[in-house]
Amino acid sequence: MSAPCALLAWALLALLGLGLGGPREEPPNPCCPIVPRREWRAPASKCSKKLRLPVRYVVVSHTADSPCDCPASCLKQAQNVHNYHSGTLNWCDVGYNFLIGEDGLVYEGRGWDTKGDHTGPTWNPISIGISFMGNYMERSPPRRALRAAQSLLACGVAQGKLSPRYEVKGHRDVQRTLSPGDQLYEIIQTWPHYHE
Amino acid sequence: MTSYPVMQLSGASRLECPRHTSGSWGWCTQSMRKARLQELLWMLFISELQAATEPHEEKYVLAAGETLNVQCPFSIQKYAYSQKAWQRLMDRAEPLTLVFTTSVSGTPSQVRMGRYFLEDIPSEAMLNVQMTNLQVEDSGLYRCVIYHPPKDPDILSPLVRLVVIKDPLGTTVSDKNPTQNLAQISTLPPTTTKAQSTLLNSPKTVTQLLPKSTADISSPGLGVNITNATDVTRYGFRVPVISIVILVLCGLLSKSLVFTVLLAVTQRSFGP
Repeated sequence: MSAPCALLAWALLALLGLGLGGPREEPPNPCCPIVPRREWRAPASKCSKKLRLPVRYVVVSHTADSPCDCPASCLKQAQNVHNYHSGTLNWCDVGYNFLIGEDGLVYEGRGWDTKGDHTGPTWNPISIGISFMGNYMERSPPRRALRAAQSLLACGVAQGKLSPRYEVKGHRDVQRTLSPGDQLYEIIQTWPHYHE
Repeated sequence: MTSYPVMQLSGASRLECPRHTSGSWGWCTQSMRKARLQELLWMLFISELQAATEPHEEKYVLAAGETLNVQCPFSIQKYAYSQKAWQRLMDRAEPLTLVFTTSVSGTPSQVRMGRYFLEDIPSEAMLNVQMTNLQVEDSGLYRCVIYHPPKDPDILSPLVRLVVIKDPLGTTVSDKNPTQNLAQISTLPPTTTKAQSTLLNSPKTVTQLLPKSTADISSPGLGVNITNATDVTRYGFRVPVISIVILVLCGLLSKSLVFTVLLAVTQRSFGP
């Protein structure tokens, strides 16, 4: 009787292992290359405040600035945003954790670990702020940009930076602002992790 | 000729022991008991799996005397001018409203009702909830809601599963909050947010180092969350996450071990 017993025990463990799986969303290799700080020649960050990981919220905004649709112009635009935040606004670094270009590339801002300056005193410490470079009131970002953003968030979950149950919020859901623009806001409301 | 009933491990097995000679009947009842026990274990196992796939609650585990801090975000567009409430979900009764805001002006407001404290910050789209001096009886399911009776409330995320355990070390945790008045005190806010933040310095833990006397868990992780403030500040952020993961895995593995052990025991004690 011990053989069936052992078999039963292993079946139990296997089933429990499957049960432990939970919501599996990530594909085989969920992390795709992004444009690191050094590549877009970002000056060293002077920010020190860290985020408590894993983060539960992602706030999507737009820069409301000029768009860019080629790797060269988006690299320049990332620098522009950084100059504005660190120079004019005198922040410790570009405010967003990540920027998304219409070239379909993700630009590393403050990254996963550092608190950003993108939403406000309540949300900055508890969220990752990603911003689409451009103004999306009247037009939508191209699909490659949306895919880049989704891919980034999946990577965050895979790396334990984002909680598997993270919630996406539009900037206008949590602040009195038009960001991320009517068109982009409509799109993110269809995302699986969007939660008002 | 004696016939023995077929043993079934799961499903509805109506086993009845034929009334035969004492020897075979004895063995039959033993086998029946074993089968029933196995059925029970299977049912428990399956119900555990089902529980794991139901809609999630955020679990907060705190010791008696400590303070619970919860952040409930809400849509600024929809609810900046709405009242909010903190409710306890009861087993076979209506949810119990413990404290609710009264301001509908869209400006920050705070309400204290005994051990319950609400801070509504419409400009930040956040409702901060605080329960001080937790008791074991406080354990249960709670939620933040948009409060507009007689309409049904709109439920905010997260649902809070609070577990208050008796302080194992017998040391009482000092509570930084002021006296607990039994009357509901509705404080209309000062015009500057600075005054507000000084009043609420201790609950706002996410932006500063956690005060050591309260265990505030406002950004919960994966599940059971017992993080010591000093651990976080001393060792950085990796240790608490790993310990949470280990705790969750240990809890789940221990359940599987319990099941296998119980099954093994039933096999051996009732086996031929």
